[in-house]
Amino acid sequence: MGYTFAEKALARAVGHPVSANEVVTVEPDFCMSHDNTGPISRTFKKIGVKKVWKPERLVVILDHGVPAPSSDHAVNHKEAREFMKEQGAPHFYDVSSSGGVCHQKFPEEGFALPGQIVIGSDSHTCTYGAFGTFATGIGRSEMAAAWATGNIWFKVPESMKITATGRLKQGVSAKDFILKVMGDVKSDGADYMSVEFHGDGIEGMSISERMTLCNLGIEMGAKNAVCRPDQKVLDYIKGREKSADWEALWADPDAAYAKELKYDLGDIAPGVAKPHTVDNYAPIGEVAGTAINQAFIGTCTNGRIEDLHAAAEVLKGKRVAVRTIVIPASWNIYREAMRDGTLDALLDAGCIVCNSGCGPCLGAHMGTLAPGEACISTANRNFKGRMGDKDSFIYLASPRTVAMSALAGKITDPREAF
Amino acid sequence: MGKTMIMKIMERAAHKEVHVGERVWCDIDWSTARDFGGANCTLQFDEITEKQGRVWDSDKIAFTFDLQAPSHSEKVSNNQKIIREFAKRQGIKHVFDINHGIGQHVLLENGLVKPGDVILGTDSHMNLLGGVAAFATGVGNTDIAASWLSGTNWFRVPETMKIEATGEFQCGVSMRDFLTRLVGDLGAGGLDFLAVEFAGDAIERSTLAERITLCSMVTEMSGKIGLILPNGPVLEWLAGRAGPEVRSRVASIAPDADAPYIETRKYDVSKLEPLASCPDAPDNVKTVREIAGTPVDQVHIGSCSNGRFEDIAAAFAVLEKSGFKVSPSVRTIITPATNEVMRRCASEGLIEKFLDAGIVFTNPTCALCTAEHYGALPGGDVGCSTTNRNFIGKVGKGSHTYLLSPMTAMATAVKGVITDPRDIIC
Amino acid sequence: MSEILRGRAWVFSDDVDTDLIYHNKYLAETDPKKMPQYSFEYYPGKENFAKEVKPGDFVVAGKNFGCGSSREHAVYCLKEAGVPVILAETCSRIYYRNAINNGYPVLFVKGLSEAIKAGKIKDGDELEVELGTGTIKDSTSGSAFHGDAVSDLERDIMSAGGLIPYLKSKKK
Repeated sequence: MGYTFAEKALARAVGHPVSANEVVTVEPDFCMSHDNTGPISRTFKKIGVKKVWKPERLVVILDHGVPAPSSDHAVNHKEAREFMKEQGAPHFYDVSSSGGVCHQKFPEEGFALPGQIVIGSDSHTCTYGAFGTFATGIGRSEMAAAWATGNIWFKVPESMKITATGRLKQGVSAKDFILKVMGDVKSDGADYMSVEFHGDGIEGMSISERMTLCNLGIEMGAKNAVCRPDQKVLDYIKGREKSADWEALWADPDAAYAKELKYDLGDIAPGVAKPHTVDNYAPIGEVAGTAINQAFIGTCTNGRIEDLHAAAEVLKGKRVAVRTIVIPASWNIYREAMRDGTLDALLDAGCIVCNSGCGPCLGAHMGTLAPGEACISTANRNFKGRMGDKDSFIYLASPRTVAMSALAGKITDPREAF
Repeated sequence: MGKTMIMKIMERAAHKEVHVGERVWCDIDWSTARDFGGANCTLQFDEITEKQGRVWDSDKIAFTFDLQAPSHSEKVSNNQKIIREFAKRQGIKHVFDINHGIGQHVLLENGLVKPGDVILGTDSHMNLLGGVAAFATGVGNTDIAASWLSGTNWFRVPETMKIEATGEFQCGVSMRDFLTRLVGDLGAGGLDFLAVEFAGDAIERSTLAERITLCSMVTEMSGKIGLILPNGPVLEWLAGRAGPEVRSRVASIAPDADAPYIETRKYDVSKLEPLASCPDAPDNVKTVREIAGTPVDQVHIGSCSNGRFEDIAAAFAVLEKSGFKVSPSVRTIITPATNEVMRRCASEGLIEKFLDAGIVFTNPTCALCTAEHYGALPGGDVGCSTTNRNFIGKVGKGSHTYLLSPMTAMATAVKGVITDPRDIIC
Repeated sequence: MSEILRGRAWVFSDDVDTDLIYHNKYLAETDPKKMPQYSFEYYPGKENFAKEVKPGDFVVAGKNFGCGSSREHAVYCLKEAGVPVILAETCSRIYYRNAINNGYPVLFVKGLSEAIKAGKIKDGDELEVELGTGTIKDSTSGSAFHGDAVSDLERDIMSAGGLIPYLKSKKK
């Protein structure tokens, strides 16, 4: 019997073979944290250890509120800044044009490497699975403990295999696919598991699309989500690797899975996650016509250049009917959009293009919702009150669907453009 | 006895002869509100009219969103929503939502402001529109709600001080430094209740951006309005935006040669050097040389005082001379005043170079004028900014701010310590 | 005959700006009744004002009180706290308008700035203020001051209870 990806990655980390449900203790290759670094550092200090076990393994990327939208945010940033300095930790991404959303910057900067173990004090750390990394989100206390000890324990997860064949049709995106999967698997369907994406449908996807898929792993309850680190990944990381100690691992063909799901991408149609859960899937037809007050394109889920291109393709030469906030996931993406005319197209259409960061995704920056308002968003969560008032409504969709809906002021099938 | 500019403006609006010191009722050309105070206005209007009232003229009301654009708090989001709904209910078409920029600048760019207009707004820096000889003033919500009821409001006809500026700025010195000199000389209350007319060849040659800078800070001396009669390229620009009536308006409000001024002050701007408003008051003025070397944590360039293209371009020139690199120990944030400014910065290649240098370039908004938007400071931090106020804790409890010209601000960002821009560009 | 108001003095310097009176952090508030809790939170040494002020207490300040922002919050937060009148040598113009427009009296008191600096009027002093005549007595220190009357229009607006009731009464 072969091994799953998770078994192989954790085996590599401990130096001997392991199987699902064993408990292992491993040394993380990188520890990612963001604006919560300040609070983590306070917990860390309470442990009584002075130095982080390996300061060069800390990666801190400020993104949740940048530049600081309030003095409270500013105080948190300052704490992170001072902690990194005092630890002599080199990988600090402060408020500057070298920043962006942590889950975008982390791979851009070459920290997401195949076969490595990454922990992050953010649930969407699972995004790095798009690079064949075993990456998982943890809480602040556990992060403080990992900094102190250089260790973290895991139960080797069971795995779920999702196989996708074929190609997405015009107007349909990886986001539509993963929302459909969410609707099928439900928010606890992959609890504690490692989700593996297989098949020629995945091979045909770009890195960006794979990041969208893995990003939503946590929404199914998964420990991590991962795609095979193929040549596209190797090409991507070439020249940016922040560590030489990586290995392109993948599951054996005869590995054992707790669950298996199969999709033909050709069958996927545009869809949304309705309020207030990510698994509340609806085909676009069911919600088309729902009035919206705000459209948001961005985040670690869908703030990449391909996503902005998709939106600009829809919006070019037209005017949005509702306030439309566009936030490139990193400043590199912002610049690319500026250079290739995407930014102009979006601004011409009446979008507000903000500086890179998490934006309104978590309700505390750049586009918080008022009571009774509805927003269609490319983000990954639509929990009640997530983007602001507890009586607001979030629909999750693809960049193309969001852009089409922004034009109409109501939820609209993106295929209407063709 | 002749008449000053503000007297002529008030006579047009009051339809009668006016005298200094008397209270007059003026017709209002624009009564505007922002997401700052705007909801207070609409709620008050609804309350006093039991939700039945119609505004006096929906074409003379404008809303702008710039305090938090986009909003980061549920309360402000709700205030914005209240305003949008009020505008819809009242048929108010001039709603400049979060994708536009700083209110007064947006009104100006959209050709809504003419010389001689009487304009109210929930922004104490409304009076920067005096840069095109409009009488614009910041007021509270009651004044706005009252004007929506009646289309008029009361004003005391102010005495006028004349400030004549002659000469040319030396390298590294700008209108902002002249202004800082004035605030230092006159003090925070130095223009209380007064109007100011700016004249002299240095003013006549100045750009619109410079005029805006100068007039915006009349507030920091508690002045009622600073006025500059449009001429030359500024007049052409304004007529292009707001229509040919601008020219006859200018002629009708030009001050008489024998107009009464309570005082005339003269400045030779060629004698100025870069200046700073030091913590924690705009009138705590020192030369940049005196405070050079002070370490700073953040530099912010923007705001209604210095967020126009020319301001950002002046900062750019300093950055260019420094090899497009800012100090890694400083967070540098640039916020354009409006979408139009942002677009020009993009098309002329400025944004790309700013980003290369490590600078955060934000969407147009008021940004760092309150502790509740981009770039709020933690306690203990020292900020430098081209905004107009540095009151105690204004942008974060326990922080301190130096107000500087865009050139000085960028020189400081480059070196990481307060730096005289002449050391870099001259 | 006008009523004599009695209360304690809270003494402030010159150029008290609107951020010191009511900080920009709380601008989103629209209910005047909720504003007093933030009064003077950023004023060094007066952080407890909001908690300790009693209805009837006076705000006493030097020159240019209320300079800065147009926020009417800075008037509401004192009016709603029960401060019956603001005594200042001068008041910034927008602040003054906002006060008058709410029927909230401000007395302009010559020499107050110097008196504050000289300690002739201090925090906690018992004051007697007669609005009609503008007479102010500090019964703790024994100092006396005189406040200026306002113009006819301002008096009319004041006595109508503010700008809105004034305009309404004129319409009838």
